[in-house]
Amino acid sequence: MHMKRQLPVLTLVILALCILQSPAMAADQAEYEAALAGAQETLRDAATRVQLWTTSDQLLQSAAEAAASGDYDLAIRQLEEAELHAQLALATAEREKTVWQKSVPKPDHP
Amino acid sequence: MKRLLIACFLSVLMANAFATPEQDRLALREFFSKRFPKLDLNEMANGLYAFDEGAREQWLEMEDFPPYEIAVEAGEEAFNQPFANGKGYADCFENGGIGIRQNYPRFDTDSGQVVTLELAINQCREANGEEPLPWLTGELAEISAYMAYTSRGNEMNVVIPDDPRAIAAYEAGKEYYYTRRGQLEFACENCHMQSAGNLLRADTLSGMLGQATHWPVYRSKWGEIGTLNKRFQECNEQVRAKAYEPQSEVYRNLEYFLSYMSNGMELNGPASRR
Repeated sequence: MHMKRQLPVLTLVILALCILQSPAMAADQAEYEAALAGAQETLRDAATRVQLWTTSDQLLQSAAEAAASGDYDLAIRQLEEAELHAQLALATAEREKTVWQKSVPKPDHP
Repeated sequence: MKRLLIACFLSVLMANAFATPEQDRLALREFFSKRFPKLDLNEMANGLYAFDEGAREQWLEMEDFPPYEIAVEAGEEAFNQPFANGKGYADCFENGGIGIRQNYPRFDTDSGQVVTLELAINQCREANGEEPLPWLTGELAEISAYMAYTSRGNEMNVVIPDDPRAIAAYEAGKEYYYTRRGQLEFACENCHMQSAGNLLRADTLSGMLGQATHWPVYRSKWGEIGTLNKRFQECNEQVRAKAYEPQSEVYRNLEYFLSYMSNGMELNGPASRR
């Protein structure tokens, strides 16, 4: 009788452990490569607009090192940050496309 | 009447949007005349020493035994050293390479590219079967220093020919100078126009006028003589913008624009800076 009452609890504990141990929870190489491709594409766009940041290379390097050591979660976080920096650089490029001309002195500059 | 007004409005608009290089240069001088009404604008060829009296005194004392002197001597020796084929640098340049620094960068209509002095030196080497020299410091900077030294006192005379490719190169350099970039979002203009003469931490910022008259430069920070491209890279990295390769099209166009802005000012390279 006592054993019967403990069974569902035991089942739940085993199930929880299975879920936590599941490989689907950790990023894998395929996800890393997809994140890398995404980051590289945005970085190429930023390079075309003559607007790369020094931080991007550092983040790509850190991501590659993390991936080499098997820490894909960290690697993907670094790639996401690199991509974000490239997006911000692109936002600067977009804004500056017309704004830069306002800084050029005109003959009647105050 | 209405059409005439519209035409006038459009012509003013077009004139502002597409100023000629000479209009840009004159407007820039006017900008600095208003910003520093008591300053002789030609003094701006001395960079921060035009603004900072204390630093200027130290610099003038250094000029008694300038740190670039050894580089000029080494550059002269290298310049006169014949190539393996018996020819030399003097064969590649007008007037034997003496007193011509003020004409660089120039626009090469054959290649459609801006050619800086350092690029021309390495082109000369390659045309004569020699390996090109590293761009930023060392022998190339020394030869450039010697050629600048022989040109001292000449007025900067960068020419932008009536060629749409030359205008495009000039405009690209101009856009680069005025565009904010890097994680800190600084344009060259933010430091060297808006903040010229002001302190950035412990350093007084130089002004844009005359920024191209005195290269290459011996910087105490570097402990050696280096080319303008080295400084471009350093400036980029200081605002956390990725630097470009030396003598990349981006930097050559930037130097073209920057040098044209110094036209009419006396060439005073090489120079020493902090």
